[in-house]
Amino acid sequence: MPDPVRVRDWNAASLTIAFGIATVLAAIVLIAPSIVILITSFTDSASLKFPPSGYSLRWYRALADADQMQTAALNSLIVAIWTTALSVVLGTGAAVAVSRSRGWKARLLDGLFMSPLLLPALAFGFAALIFIYRIGLRPNLPLLVLGHVIVCVPFVIRTTLAALAQLDPALADASLSLGATHAETFRRITLPLIGRGIGAGGFLAFMASFDNVPVSLFLADERTEVLPIHLWQQIETNLDVRTAAASGVIIVATLILMALAERFAGLTSQMR
Amino acid sequence: MAAAGHDVQIDHVSHRFADYVAVDDVSLTIDGGGLVALLGPSGCGKSTLLRIIAGFIAQSSGRILFDGAPVDHLPANRRGVGIVFQNYALFPHMTVRDNVAYGLRAQKWERDDIGPRVEEMLRRVHMAQFADRFPKQLSGGQQQRVALARCLATDPKVLLLDEPFAALDKNLRFDMQVEVKRLQHEYGITTIMVTHDQEEALAMADRIAVMSRGRLEQVASPTEIYDRPATLFVNQFVGSTNLLRGELLAQDSNGALVRLDDGTALRAADSKGLMPGAKVVVAVRPEGLVLSDNAVEGARPGRIKTVMPLGPQVAYDIETEDGAALKAVVARSGASGLREADSIVHVAPVSPAACNIFAIE
Repeated sequence: MPDPVRVRDWNAASLTIAFGIATVLAAIVLIAPSIVILITSFTDSASLKFPPSGYSLRWYRALADADQMQTAALNSLIVAIWTTALSVVLGTGAAVAVSRSRGWKARLLDGLFMSPLLLPALAFGFAALIFIYRIGLRPNLPLLVLGHVIVCVPFVIRTTLAALAQLDPALADASLSLGATHAETFRRITLPLIGRGIGAGGFLAFMASFDNVPVSLFLADERTEVLPIHLWQQIETNLDVRTAAASGVIIVATLILMALAERFAGLTSQMR
Repeated sequence: MAAAGHDVQIDHVSHRFADYVAVDDVSLTIDGGGLVALLGPSGCGKSTLLRIIAGFIAQSSGRILFDGAPVDHLPANRRGVGIVFQNYALFPHMTVRDNVAYGLRAQKWERDDIGPRVEEMLRRVHMAQFADRFPKQLSGGQQQRVALARCLATDPKVLLLDEPFAALDKNLRFDMQVEVKRLQHEYGITTIMVTHDQEEALAMADRIAVMSRGRLEQVASPTEIYDRPATLFVNQFVGSTNLLRGELLAQDSNGALVRLDDGTALRAADSKGLMPGAKVVVAVRPEGLVLSDNAVEGARPGRIKTVMPLGPQVAYDIETEDGAALKAVVARSGASGLREADSIVHVAPVSPAACNIFAIE
């Protein structure tokens, strides 16, 4: 008689092994480029050769004098902060409205708000540029922010809708029956309980705006040049090693932000 | 403490969702301080009616009145109705203390009065030592006590209980039923409880309103509902019952004479105005049957299929000669032992009053 506790199941074991290998491969593909660029950024030579022949911090020191790059980084930061703020306000409102209504109207709106995630951002950027010229405007910072909001707000809507779906509708009813107004109920019950969802969406929106290329490509002018586009141009024209150092700064800053977001907003649990 | 509660009147209330009638012309008056249970299966409209009384949904037609004054124009937050929800709906991000203070703050109580009031309410429900806990750190019964304290703190005119004990396990349920009845009595607050659990309704309510498919089937005291159900639905929904088909032979001042389909004659106390010749079904509760060893008048013989000793009582599943199944529950007296399975007994109603006649539609 076979041992009832431990049945050897080669079928299940082979599946586990296959998934394990796929996971490791995916991790390597995802992480390796970041590690390569991080190592390269510490090179002591003027080329982007990997592995570097020697190590130094010279390119990080050179960042201190890279005025154009600093301006671009500042632009990116300003755009990302404005984009995040607007996305959080608009996205939360949209999510609350969608979650309260039922039927085809809500589904239509939901799909409409989500469409920027699915449509090629390049097409949207180009269309937005033509539209802006048609109505007699020229690309500027507020329009760039607006463009970013359109492609970033779906993140906030998604995570906020997920948080709202977890929210027991009886809580709002309880608050009302205790004499609170709808506004009080939203401020004291709904908002605190979906705050983490909104925060997670805000974080994603910030990151999506900060490294957005397709929309910025069309809507940024020479005064509002953003970091990803500036870095691309530097690589393309003179293989500037400072771009590697800038990438290193971005990678480390992102890791710190992610750790903070995970610690305070439970980022990954909000995205499930 | 016991103040006179507020009268609640439900006046010809109907509610339609699209083309579905959830509540169909319900009228019900609840005297101040009373505890009425809305009892019915899921989908019978009792929860919709509760939400209408609370002001969460506006009824399609009819009026809700408190102390004779319509409240239909008042939104939920100004109606003065307290609700204890089925899952208690405590605010998870607030402590017990803040939960209880929530309604007081919302209703703009003086800051200095809120603290003492919260302490008083928590003492009343024996939760004072848990004031700084969060809801998820409490058991189901404790959460319900907090929900009651939160609700009663603001002195609502009416207390609504939505399936209040469904989430509790059986032993705790009884304790909380006692507790809720005590509080309800202490405050003298008019209370409407929604439940699908007949035992809960029978145990708690002064009066029970049985609902089915949006309509009120019967409104009466628990004993009246159990002993003299107005409709076959009420008879079958509340308690267990045996249904015997037959024909009404005659009626007189002593009641009605029915001939059952197997030929046995049976007396019922009330013919309910049915005419002789009407096809009827006679409902007899399991405890309304007596078992005897010898053939007596009106008894039908049967074979005991199953014996279930339930402690103070014994339940028998009996198969009659024509194949019908009867349930009988008899008290265990000291002298008589259990009847054995497969033995033959003679089954008869204990009295005409134990037999309820309903017309077959």
